[in-house]
Amino acid sequence: MASPALLLLALFVAVPFVAAIWFSLHNVRLGDPRAPSFMGITQYVRILTDPDVSRQFIDALLHNLIFAAVVVPVQTALALSLALLVKKSIPGVGIFRSLYFLPVVFPIALVAIIWRLILARGDQGLLNSALSFFSGGAFGSQDWLGSELTALASVIVLSIWQGCGFQMVILLAALQQVPAELYEAAELDRASAWQRFVHVTVPGIKPTLVFVALYTMILSLRVFDQIYVLAKSGGGLNEGATRTVMYEAVTAAFDENNIGRASAISVVFFVIVVILSVIQRRATSEKES
Amino acid sequence: MLAPQRSRPLAVTIGAGLSLALMLSACSGSPEGGDSADGTIDVWAHSGQASEAAALETLVKEFNSSQDDVTAKLTLIPEADYTSTIQATSPDELPDVMEMDAPTMAAFAYDRKLIPLEDVVSSETLDNRISGVKESGTYNDATYAVGLFDVGLGLWGNKTLLAEAGIEAPTTADEAWTVEEFRTNLAKLAEVSPSGKAIDLGEANGFAAEWGTFTTTPNIWSAGGTLMKDGKADGVLNSQENVDALEEWASWKEFADPNTSGSAFPDGQTALTWTGNWMYPTFSEALGDDLALMPLPDFGNGTKAGHGSWQWGVTPAAEGNTEAAGSFLDFLLTDESIAAMVEANAAVPGSTTALEQSELYGPGKPLELFATNLESACSSDDVSADCIAVARPVTPGYPTVTSSFGSALLAIWGGADVQGELDSAARAIDSDFSDNNGYQDE
Repeated sequence: MASPALLLLALFVAVPFVAAIWFSLHNVRLGDPRAPSFMGITQYVRILTDPDVSRQFIDALLHNLIFAAVVVPVQTALALSLALLVKKSIPGVGIFRSLYFLPVVFPIALVAIIWRLILARGDQGLLNSALSFFSGGAFGSQDWLGSELTALASVIVLSIWQGCGFQMVILLAALQQVPAELYEAAELDRASAWQRFVHVTVPGIKPTLVFVALYTMILSLRVFDQIYVLAKSGGGLNEGATRTVMYEAVTAAFDENNIGRASAISVVFFVIVVILSVIQRRATSEKES
Repeated sequence: MLAPQRSRPLAVTIGAGLSLALMLSACSGSPEGGDSADGTIDVWAHSGQASEAAALETLVKEFNSSQDDVTAKLTLIPEADYTSTIQATSPDELPDVMEMDAPTMAAFAYDRKLIPLEDVVSSETLDNRISGVKESGTYNDATYAVGLFDVGLGLWGNKTLLAEAGIEAPTTADEAWTVEEFRTNLAKLAEVSPSGKAIDLGEANGFAAEWGTFTTTPNIWSAGGTLMKDGKADGVLNSQENVDALEEWASWKEFADPNTSGSAFPDGQTALTWTGNWMYPTFSEALGDDLALMPLPDFGNGTKAGHGSWQWGVTPAAEGNTEAAGSFLDFLLTDESIAAMVEANAAVPGSTTALEQSELYGPGKPLELFATNLESACSSDDVSADCIAVARPVTPGYPTVTSSFGSALLAIWGGADVQGELDSAARAIDSDFSDNNGYQDE
């Protein structure tokens, strides 16, 4: 019975992966009809040791990890607080639920364009003019996307803004599954609101929380669109401070036509993601048992 | 018992059938390419400036109604993805005729996505081209592309604001501001510009994209540097001249308007803008007689400007029916078609006869400067003080050159160390060239 599934898996996962390994060992140029020449592990050596290529790759990996380290806890916590807020049955709560969910419907490329206007350098940027207005001009214009210090933070903020609503909806569904009797019993035991949250809510939605954290982690590792849009189409994003591994792979393949290096980056990244997944799986399954 | 036994082979059949269907549909993606026997040719073009795309659509319609043998089917692809779309399409799935940006021509010819045009396009059409268009269509001594127009890059000024700051606009290349004068003028003009910024340098177009290479290379050529020499970037791209020129360029950032509205200059918010001929219709409508066209600043080796623009080629998909493709290109390159196109984008007409009849180019006409710039054109390998218009390097390795240089530009604009960025770009380019055996094309 499993054969169709296995066939599809082979077709869409195993075949591309084996092809990527083969490409990574050859000099494959996008669109070049000449037969690829064998390069051995040169691409891997460059990614890991060449001063230019490896610096960019390590930077990219680091940015992915920083992104994940900030986005996973912050976005999950924010989504949980939003879910708790919109769980209350007050009139018009549906409007708030829809509003918080709205950014999820926008493609991330569009979100990047909107935030490009908000974060634009100079006095015309919405954020800059707002800050200068409220501080009475004391707060000078910042180059939010161009500065090395704020570029990655800006991307993190807009990504959380876009992604938060989705986690909120999942957590809201989980919150509504927690039996009301448990809260009533806790109230009879004179548990404070905080105690009810820690001892009833959190255990009640734990599997969903774990899922949301895992899911956000996976999204954080493949972050690409907003960085590509902001760097390549005039957003002035500081490329060196925000490049991610996916960005490296895509620009190598489609800007430099270097399929070999792009494949090698993908293969190395695959190994890293597998290691991270195993660690996370261990950590969460221990907690569950 | 019967049902499960039967369902297994059924599931296998469905699964196998599905995968087979998927594989087949994946393999026969585009059936259109190459089926030109019925007199239909497929044409791909970029969709950038709206007026330019509209003019092209009209031309294609006119071509189709002008004769009965050939029907051209036009597909417009957004400019941002245009080059990578062609790069990622295999030669047999390409259209019969396609447009391409000038510096990408060599890479497509190297990838066997273009065929020589000597026997496709009529010799009258080829001989009538202006020298700039001839040069950007030539690779390995063969013509692979023909263009309706060539491009001009210049400094545009708002005469009212210039007068307010007490600055006179230079009109000819000899009078170009030196880089010191330019810097002083930027400071003066910042004071009179309503936005507080003197110039729009085009950063909203993205310096990491092709625009970055096109718009900053005149600075390095004018400083006596260039991108590559003899297929090598190290010692050339990261030369002292280039470092000085780009440090200067990055220092203009404090006077540069990010132009988030997209219309800072035509709205009169900035006194200057640094862009090409395609903005002339917008600018002249907004500013009228207030619009001044000036040469780019002189870094010491004379003012320079970029050249080489969108042009047309024929792919191997048209082989066996190159006559149809040739008749379409011959039609596009008639003086009437060229006139219709340059009315939309104000580019320099690409044929000598169309240039003579032009209302914008010629002695005393508004864009005279762009045409005179092109009269003294040279290649990026050999930039002399006398030449003004310089073509970007004609090499199949150009995608890596512009990608590495563009990344460096974006970082430099953001404040990174110029020497370090150019060193690393030069190493990336040289490593790519040596991986590909210097892009020797046999």
